[in-house]
Amino acid sequence: MAILEVDDLRTYFKTRRGDVRAVDGVSFSLERGRTLGIVGESGCGKSVTALSMMGLLASTARIVTGSIRFDGRELTTLSEHELEDVRGRQIAMIFQDPMTSLNPTLTIGTQITETMRRHLDLSGDAARKRAIELLEEVHITNARQRLDDYPHRYSGGMRQRVMIAIALSCNPKLLIADEPTTALDVTVQAGILDLLEELREEHEMSMIIITHDMGVVAEAADDIAVMYAGQIVEQASAEELFDHPEHPYTEALLGALPQLEGEGVRASRLTAIPGRPPDLVDLPDACRFAPRCPYANPNDECAKHVPELREIRQGHLVRSAHPTSERAGALAGAKP
Amino acid sequence: MVLNPQEESLRETVVSRESEELRFEAGAALRQSSLWRDALRRFTHNRGALIAMVAFLIMLLYVVVTPWIVPYDPNNVDFSASYLTPTWSHPFGTDQFGRDLFLRTALGGRISIGIGFAATVAIMVIGILYGAISGFVGGWLDNGMMRILDALYGLPYLPFAIITLAIFGTVNFWTMVVALTVASWFTTARVMRGQIITLKENDYVRSARAIGARWNRILFRHLLPNTLGLVIVFVFLELPGVVLGEAFLSFLGLGINPPNASWGSLAQDGYTQYLSHPHIIVIPSVAIAWLILSAFFIADGLRDALDPRTEGAA
Repeated sequence: MAILEVDDLRTYFKTRRGDVRAVDGVSFSLERGRTLGIVGESGCGKSVTALSMMGLLASTARIVTGSIRFDGRELTTLSEHELEDVRGRQIAMIFQDPMTSLNPTLTIGTQITETMRRHLDLSGDAARKRAIELLEEVHITNARQRLDDYPHRYSGGMRQRVMIAIALSCNPKLLIADEPTTALDVTVQAGILDLLEELREEHEMSMIIITHDMGVVAEAADDIAVMYAGQIVEQASAEELFDHPEHPYTEALLGALPQLEGEGVRASRLTAIPGRPPDLVDLPDACRFAPRCPYANPNDECAKHVPELREIRQGHLVRSAHPTSERAGALAGAKP
Repeated sequence: MVLNPQEESLRETVVSRESEELRFEAGAALRQSSLWRDALRRFTHNRGALIAMVAFLIMLLYVVVTPWIVPYDPNNVDFSASYLTPTWSHPFGTDQFGRDLFLRTALGGRISIGIGFAATVAIMVIGILYGAISGFVGGWLDNGMMRILDALYGLPYLPFAIITLAIFGTVNFWTMVVALTVASWFTTARVMRGQIITLKENDYVRSARAIGARWNRILFRHLLPNTLGLVIVFVFLELPGVVLGEAFLSFLGLGINPPNASWGSLAQDGYTQYLSHPHIIVIPSVAIAWLILSAFFIADGLRDALDPRTEGAA
């Protein structure tokens, strides 16, 4: 059974100009023990999707329709009070910037034990002991001494490790990592991703990694959902998606990555995607990627209504009128 | 960045080297330290603030100890000893009634500083509560509370205090404290609200919410402790204002009743004879200036000490 099932989730932000449809009909499910990567550019709704699940939306945002079933329990109808019991206990979340995610006036130890004392009935001593174990688990040496340090004595990578330790402290069933490596050095990034994968396995968690970095999902995710303008435009297993991308947007994203090897790499330039994402207030009744799509033309079906998310192959969903494999003259196994 | 096996192995080496470095680094910094210890170190390295602190403590010492050791009666009228200039037996001289000013200035200081501290504490409590609630809750409540504050801001400081005193009908230590508090808690509330609003947007507040912390924990554990530095600075910024306000009211004759005196009323006693007997007005005035200046310098030093970003600039 899936640990998490999101069905037709719509989260809108109220603004003076009208509703911003940040998340507009997102559905996916996550099996136990698997990692889902949600990829997309800034403002595509990937973080809002995660925050909707946690019930941590800003006051101007609201979930309009849709259901979020976590472990057989509907989250959208829970009260704030009930959600507080789920957060940190069942679903944990780590955020982008570890430099600011820790309270500078509390010791690392206090901040790790905070979650446990909130959710588990632990004595101070037991919580402290567990905190030391957790710090060791995220590979911070001298854990016992470092427990009483304040956050300013920790480096960025170490702080993210502490954030992970905090997230793991109550053995949550689901860990949401919102851009967990974006604020870190490239070398530290890889270490954090390895750690996340290691711990996910050990703690038998499911994980959602939200990122704009194709490299990160390639490394960490089993399944990938590509989001564009509030919708999932393509969803498949990581291998399938990288080998046979179907949506023109996914193709373009992969094409925009720097190639490190192959013929003529030095001479080649990065390919940018022309145009910009649509305004999420005033969306036309058409494929949202159409204005930037190299294959769309104004007479197409996709200029008249939004394409449905359809299963083009077993386990491979795509929302486009022009998927790679259906394009005229398409080569078998298109190159990314 | 689709990784092929070759890159993978290269990255693996980088990763393992990095984690070794990390371990080394993690084991290195072992000196136990805290924000407050660091702040104290920075404060004691700031010469101006340190001198001000000493000056402040000397003033407190003078005010507290003098009445115990000076052998005069502060209210004993002795016209044969009036208008004495400072001598060894009367270090600050005497006033028109022959009362010892060394003793009376110390007693006046007790009242001035006492009112100052009491009103400052009251201002802090009211200002922090009002500002924190307004900033933390936000929305229409915040809007309403701030508009009320705007309206109060429009009232001029001294008339506001004077009217409050008039409503009480009597002037004593505590009505003075209330009047000064009522007239001057706005700034603290407003600064506090701003601070809470800024802090509220911090990632660690979001993180705290993400682990299921309830509002009371967020407010008292995550937000208010982070304002402590600001509060301490504000104590030393408010104190001079209140002392000055009290002095002003007393100088206008609205202070506490004779024969008791505060620095303001002592200065008022002296101002009619400022040409013939200047020491009577100069001494309490210097005392007021001494206290206010040292408090300001302490506030300045504390602000630098509690904000590590300004380290080195001071």
